[in-house]
Amino acid sequence: MSRHILLGAALAVVAAPAIAHHSFAAEFDINQPVQLKGEVIKMVFTNPHSRIFLKVTTASGEVQEWSIEGGAPNALIRRGWNRDSLPPGTIVTVLGYRARDGSLSASGGSVTLPDGSSLNATDTGAGAPQ
Amino acid sequence: MRQKIPALAVWVFVISALSQPVFAQERRPERIGGKPNLNGIWQAVNEAHWNLEGHSAQALEVFAKQMGAINTVPAGQSVVVGGEIPYLPEALAKRAENRAGWPASDPEAKCYMPGIPRATYMPYPFQIVQGEGDQILFSYTFANANRPVFMRDHQRAPVDLWMGRSNGAWDGDTLVIEVNSNIDSTWFDRAGNHHSAAMIVTERYTLIDEHVMQYEATIEDPETFSRPWTIRMPLYRRAEENARLLEFNCVKFAERLLYSEFEAGDAARPSGSR
Repeated sequence: MSRHILLGAALAVVAAPAIAHHSFAAEFDINQPVQLKGEVIKMVFTNPHSRIFLKVTTASGEVQEWSIEGGAPNALIRRGWNRDSLPPGTIVTVLGYRARDGSLSASGGSVTLPDGSSLNATDTGAGAPQ
Repeated sequence: MRQKIPALAVWVFVISALSQPVFAQERRPERIGGKPNLNGIWQAVNEAHWNLEGHSAQALEVFAKQMGAINTVPAGQSVVVGGEIPYLPEALAKRAENRAGWPASDPEAKCYMPGIPRATYMPYPFQIVQGEGDQILFSYTFANANRPVFMRDHQRAPVDLWMGRSNGAWDGDTLVIEVNSNIDSTWFDRAGNHHSAAMIVTERYTLIDEHVMQYEATIEDPETFSRPWTIRMPLYRRAEENARLLEFNCVKFAERLLYSEFEAGDAARPSGSR
């Protein structure tokens, strides 16, 4: 009996970090692509995923706060991102895939800046030297 | 028999390899590439990790009932030159908030990398690995944190980092390190002293004799403080023959604090089981 309880506790502890770091398919749906245009609230370079918080106004005028998940900081830095890439207030267009649970979050693909240039935020491939 | 001889040879090799540091220490050159040799294991011996400013001894409410006089705060004199940290009013209010939420609010409790200067005077040893190359490595016990000090190629990091970006240079016999690109989430001590991402730390390491270094760190952060301020303390060489950094992987110690909401609670535990 006590062994089962111990195992349960161990699983609970192991499961917690898994909420933060996961496969794409576990949280996002490849069949639900989404395009979002909005204002950057902030961008955080955190491991294991970076995150862009975006204020989006819908066609009906509702203001929504989206969380766009991207690759790890190291991967993004290799693709040219830095702390000045998305200052708060920047208007961006993000292509991504919606979360399966219907929350206002998505896995980010490309992020297009006001000048038309774009950055790749995808959470695939670290881009590390082979 | 044939198998035993190579095994013995391996052990002789292993043992001689393990004893290398002891011999190396005995032959430690005074200078490397014309600069003072800072190689070794160092540690602060003071109370600054509790509070950089002067403070009285006190019990900690969270431990008092179970631990009595164990795990209490020892009194300490200020390591801040001039005594007090020159906070801007809003930043002082933030410190009060940090203190009110301690210990859960403290990044140390979560095993986050401590940042500079806090890593220097935590109650754990750290190691300096210095050669004649372009980098000097600082390796810390707490959270297995480390940082290369770049003696050339001085720059900012592309994003803010827990241990910052360290650009080093020699000023005579003093190693001067400018630490920029500091993330805003590290603290200075267990008393909630904090800073913003605008902080630049300028450290100075000066050997006083073979076993003692003077450490100084000047903090510039106009978003948090009304003027630059400096901490100063000696650092001591760990002189044990077998001195070395030991592993302190605190992630597992922090898991219950960080993820207790995912833990099976007492209510879920069948009565009588342990």
